[in-house]
Amino acid sequence: MRTQLIAALTRRPQRAVVLPALAALAGVLVAALALFRTPSAAVTVVPPGYVALVNQKGILMSDFITQTSTETAKEFEQTTPEERRNVLREMIDEELLVQRGLRLDLPETTTEVRETLATAVTRQAAEPQLAQPLTDAELRAYYEQHSRDYETDGSMTLRDLVLHFGGYQNIDQSAAQARTDAAEAVYRLRSGDSVDYLIEHFGFVDSGRVYDGEQLEFAAKLRLGPTLYPIARMMSDGQVSDPIEDSDGIHVLVMQRRLAPRPVGFDAARDRVYTALRAAQSKLTNQQNLQLLRREAQILLAPGQSQ
Amino acid sequence: MFRSTWTWVALAAVLLAAATVHWAARASDQRLARRLLAAPADASVRDPALLRYARLRAQPLYREHCAVCHGADMTGNPALGAPNLTDPVWLYGKGSVFDIERTLLYGIRSGVPQARNVTDMPAFGVRGLLSTADINNAVQYLLQLNRRPYQADAASEGRQVYERKANCGDCHGADAHGNPDYGAPDLTVNVWNSGTDPASLYRAIYSGQHHVMPGWLGTLSLEQIRELAMYIYSASHGGG
Repeated sequence: MRTQLIAALTRRPQRAVVLPALAALAGVLVAALALFRTPSAAVTVVPPGYVALVNQKGILMSDFITQTSTETAKEFEQTTPEERRNVLREMIDEELLVQRGLRLDLPETTTEVRETLATAVTRQAAEPQLAQPLTDAELRAYYEQHSRDYETDGSMTLRDLVLHFGGYQNIDQSAAQARTDAAEAVYRLRSGDSVDYLIEHFGFVDSGRVYDGEQLEFAAKLRLGPTLYPIARMMSDGQVSDPIEDSDGIHVLVMQRRLAPRPVGFDAARDRVYTALRAAQSKLTNQQNLQLLRREAQILLAPGQSQ
Repeated sequence: MFRSTWTWVALAAVLLAAATVHWAARASDQRLARRLLAAPADASVRDPALLRYARLRAQPLYREHCAVCHGADMTGNPALGAPNLTDPVWLYGKGSVFDIERTLLYGIRSGVPQARNVTDMPAFGVRGLLSTADINNAVQYLLQLNRRPYQADAASEGRQVYERKANCGDCHGADAHGNPDYGAPDLTVNVWNSGTDPASLYRAIYSGQHHVMPGWLGTLSLEQIRELAMYIYSASHGGG
């Protein structure tokens, strides 16, 4: 039987060549058709699991059901066809607007979209960190490190006198002379002379940084600035500071009334400490996230620029 | 010669039969795959063939993606706050395939807007909102609600904590039956994601709860997510 089969195949030897040749030709034709056909991978039927395709972008059936239930405050099965149509129309409209927004490159051009994106990414990065419960030890350590943030509001009533020198008002006064005058003025004040006496005899003026009357701690800190405030903070009622040199001249502080901030105990501050520590953790996570993104990014700066 | 020919014929017949069986099984799988998402989520589990198909395909997916938190046996991990998936108690929704699928799609506090993330259980102790005694009393009240041994006086105080001081009812309901829209568990069914003993209950109130589950949309296909949802649903209905 095998002999017969071989004999049949070899009876016409050209068949061994013709058949593969025909197959090869068919393959070439199929390939050519695929090559010259308009490339169109468009899906024309909504795939299972989706309720609609908008420019090939699917709207999930699950999202549609959830949104319909949420908007109508009913179980999906209890909603009317009209309600479902309305919701679907809204979802398609939203998808169209989102797609249009992407074509307009809104993430590149619109501040609000950029901010929303940045916030969402930051939040997403922080979630796993927030899942870790905080312990008392962590909270207490943070409190100790930031104890200055947990004080009652203090206040101060003071005069801030300044002796300008080298400016147009006191063009003839040298810095050395001004320092000597200021030291003398402080001595006078501490000996019982009045502020008015200083103004009249040494040329001091009110600096204008603080208002008359009581000022809350944060306001005094803001107005006095980093040179004067740390000194004012440590002063008590009736105290006169040493001369303090700042950018605009030599200052003398006269503390009339001081209500110093008092530390808030750990237990009373717990809730604030918790919130602050969580915020600090989120900030740290965000920084780490940005470091990672920076490592992976290619950032080129124009000549002369730095960051 | 004759015997040899019949051997070839028999071999060809066996191969043909195997191919037919394989083709039929594949065609059946394709039919089931098409039906998987074509049916509404909750209807899909009522089809035994579809459920069998989904469970078979979901098992390796579960082992790869879910077991690390929920355990190979699906009974959860109290250390992670990962719930037991074999009981009929659910944090979000009513435990329907649709609800489970929704959680699988977007996750819990995963950072995407559709994720389950309405509220957090505050860290009542760490934040100093409740004292140690308050929390101990609240734990006794929870034990009472669950018909477990409790201290009557402390439980009575704990009820005041629940109803007034901590306003637990805002999320868990005045009757403590929970609110699946918020992910606030039923506190009367003695099912606890972070441990069952009084010390664990104390810790849960003291340190709060803020567990995170990733969303799988984009990582797994819709078919795979549906298969997992049906598998988990089945496990919670005695079919694990």
